[in-house]
Amino acid sequence: MFKPFLRLFVAFASVALLILIPLQVDAEAVNADVTNNKFIDMIQRRGYLKVGLPPYNTPPAYYIDSDSNELKGYDVDLAKTMASKLLVDIEFDRSSTSFNELVERVGAGDFDLAIGKLGLTYNRLFDAFPIQYLSFRHALLADRSFVASLGVDPDDPAFGLVLKNSTIRIGSIDNSTWEVEAKANFPNAEFVGFKNWTDAKNALFLPDSVIDAIYRDTTEIKPIVYADPDLSLDYVPILFDELIDRKSIYLSLEGRLGLQDFIDMTLRREWGGIKNDIAILDDFQSYYLGS
Amino acid sequence: MIINPTAIQAFFSSIFSFLPTLRKPRNFFFYILPFSIILGRLIPSTLSSDLNDIGVSMVQLIAFPAIPLVLSAVMISIADIFSSHTRTNADRIRFGTRFVVSLFIAILFASSLALLLSLYQSPGVLSPSAKLSIGRFMLDVTDIHVGAVDSSSQANNVWISTIIPSNILADASAGQTIKVISGSVLAGLAISRLKPELTLPLLTLLRSVNTISVQVLNIVLNLAPLVLICLISAAVSTINAEIVIALLNFTICVFLAAIASLGISRLIYRRFTSSSERALTSGNPVDSVFLLSLSTGSSMTAYPLLFETLTGMGRDRSEVEASASLSLLIARLGNVTYNVIAILFALNLYDVNITPLRILEVIGLGAITGISAAGLTGVATVPTITVALLFFQVPAPPVLVLLLAIDPILTLPRAATTGVLSMAIAVVSSFKSHGQKALSNPESAV
Repeated sequence: MFKPFLRLFVAFASVALLILIPLQVDAEAVNADVTNNKFIDMIQRRGYLKVGLPPYNTPPAYYIDSDSNELKGYDVDLAKTMASKLLVDIEFDRSSTSFNELVERVGAGDFDLAIGKLGLTYNRLFDAFPIQYLSFRHALLADRSFVASLGVDPDDPAFGLVLKNSTIRIGSIDNSTWEVEAKANFPNAEFVGFKNWTDAKNALFLPDSVIDAIYRDTTEIKPIVYADPDLSLDYVPILFDELIDRKSIYLSLEGRLGLQDFIDMTLRREWGGIKNDIAILDDFQSYYLGS
Repeated sequence: MIINPTAIQAFFSSIFSFLPTLRKPRNFFFYILPFSIILGRLIPSTLSSDLNDIGVSMVQLIAFPAIPLVLSAVMISIADIFSSHTRTNADRIRFGTRFVVSLFIAILFASSLALLLSLYQSPGVLSPSAKLSIGRFMLDVTDIHVGAVDSSSQANNVWISTIIPSNILADASAGQTIKVISGSVLAGLAISRLKPELTLPLLTLLRSVNTISVQVLNIVLNLAPLVLICLISAAVSTINAEIVIALLNFTICVFLAAIASLGISRLIYRRFTSSSERALTSGNPVDSVFLLSLSTGSSMTAYPLLFETLTGMGRDRSEVEASASLSLLIARLGNVTYNVIAILFALNLYDVNITPLRILEVIGLGAITGISAAGLTGVATVPTITVALLFFQVPAPPVLVLLLAIDPILTLPRAATTGVLSMAIAVVSSFKSHGQKALSNPESAV
């Protein structure tokens, strides 16, 4: 009586084993596909991180060092840190013709990520996915005679409202986040676009300038007067404490899925969290204030 | 440990006998000024803010008797001058006319003098190196910070409301000097129209308040040398020498205005005092007022000296009281000259074309903003020129930053100018010709 039962049990177990073993192998294979980060795997197989960088020189963030002819700056260093943590080399692509084009291209998958003091706008959110790493206040470098013509004491709490509703002529880089921000924050202002930041600065200091102020973040505005203190008498930095430019690293959809956690961790551990303009001005004091 | 009360008493009495001797102008130049400068150079800059705070606290203490003094002096003197029981109508008209005319002429003179000096000296026309020094000094200091936009902050500040009294006791406790003065004038006029037996208790009380206030002023003035040591050494420790050099023309202008005011006041003193009156005073009281104000940095310190000198000459007590307190506190002629020079400095700094119309505007705004400094002391008077700068659409913040940087030096000539020109107003207002003396003295008239 016991033997037939034992025989039946062994046969049933053998059949069950034969049926279940392939299923388990499939499940392991599926799990392996889910846990493996294809995006990072792709970068590692390629052997280098492809980073899109704006075509401009914006020291100390990113610039070609005139002595060594090498790319330098804190954005470049951050990208290099990420590459080293991914155990790969790095390749910078500076072929984009504008900030906006750079963001469009990273969204289209031309690079693994795009960096270079890229601000956040609604339009850029249509094209790519941002991860904030800097927090800079908006700033104007304004002609003092224009500020005085507003007829409101700058210490008066109403000054901000009067300035924002004024017909100020604002200059900045064409086709940049600052054009969008100028139109959003200064509804009655006239925006004058320039090919690059140097042209915008030069235009402000002309005797019969076509602009009253230039507009960018604090780390671009303050160094102008640091470099040339004579300007303090005629031009004044206006810092907007409530208008924050959230400088971000941009990614494609695949890049976001594959790199977001990695970038978040790198920012926390290697970068020190989201940095504000005061920290950047402080960290790079030797650059901003000179020797 | 046994405390010896006699030793403590001796210690304090020696301090209180020593401090008044330091108040002498000679001691200011020979001891206080050099000592303060050396101390300022020696102390670490971290201590300078503490020293400055101590100095400012003592200034507050010295200013403390000002409000009861002006309240009682103005009320008593106006009540007496406008009382039909004690004076003739001609007497009142003479004093009133003389006071108003001399006050107006003094303001016009002070602002014109400052304007001429500024046009000659051209403060604000800077060399490239001075521009660079100023630029370096202003880095980060004059940045404009725009916070959350507040659309409901349009306060209804009607200019006239700053001089109309609301509640004289509340105004006094809030330190609103102009409101206290206008309230006291109104109350004095009301008292003058009442019967003497009704007002006598109040006048007795006010006289007592006045005497006590003068006495308090005399006591707290003993601190003046310590105030100067604290403020000057703190200023020397922190002041930017480059800025002082860059603004040398401006500084010279303010000092020249003070010296010119002294000269004019001496002439007025000689013209409006008789030789018999001058014989009753020792030395030149105008010089004493000038040096005392200069060496203490406060024109109010000259009030007791001014009052004693003129009443000692036999001048009418009420007239001296009214003219001295009103001119010292309302006219603020040192601020008028200073503000005119500061406005022209700002116009030159920003290359504003100086036209005849603009000159008139500078005089007018300098006088108005200078008078609006009534009740303010020291560095707090400087921002009064903001109104004028806004009128001329000249950037105010950088100008204020520069003026405040060198103000510890310029407070002294400003106080001296106010002191001597107030003395000139009081001398002219209380002056009586032989004929007028005879008329106001019934015995000699008979």
